[in-house]
Amino acid sequence: MTFIPNWEEFEKSAEMLYLRDPVNTRYSVKYSHNKGVIVAKITDNKKCLQYKTEIQQDVRKIDQFMSNLLRHMASNDN
Amino acid sequence: MMYLVELTKLFQKARVAGSITMTMKRYDGRTKPHPRDGTPAVKNPEYKCLIRAQSRSKKLSTVVEQREVEKFSTAYSNLLKTSVNGLKRLKKPKKKAMATQ
Repeated sequence: MTFIPNWEEFEKSAEMLYLRDPVNTRYSVKYSHNKGVIVAKITDNKKCLQYKTEIQQDVRKIDQFMSNLLRHMASNDN
Repeated sequence: MMYLVELTKLFQKARVAGSITMTMKRYDGRTKPHPRDGTPAVKNPEYKCLIRAQSRSKKLSTVVEQREVEKFSTAYSNLLKTSVNGLKRLKKPKKKAMATQ
């Protein structure tokens, strides 16, 4: 359950984790409105990476990564 | 799309208290468990994306097919942009702009 302090590093490691085992990797985003915090998490049941932020501008990055993943998951690329 | 309508409602409910979790993973379209002999449940799958959302005891899910990806992705991002808006907004530092003048 490691929190990675910087987004670029999280994104890079998350991408590697996903590409190693696309079938068993899931990406989840947890948002709490009243606490004003959003957590992105990726895991393949062996390794787990997390990124936590309270900054609105980061939402765009989390969302962008989600779109990229969505595109890859719903494709036959490996 | 029905899923996005329901998700919007879920976001509204979770505004006051609680949280909402959205998960996604690759999905091969199987409707049966993996066979015990280790052979794949679906041969030559056309991969899809399974999307789930959960808040308190309420759960939603949908499957995005390959041909729907672009359309869904745009709508999904728009929904998140409007629903996830309770975070701190950092003001852009103006120092840099002034320094370059």
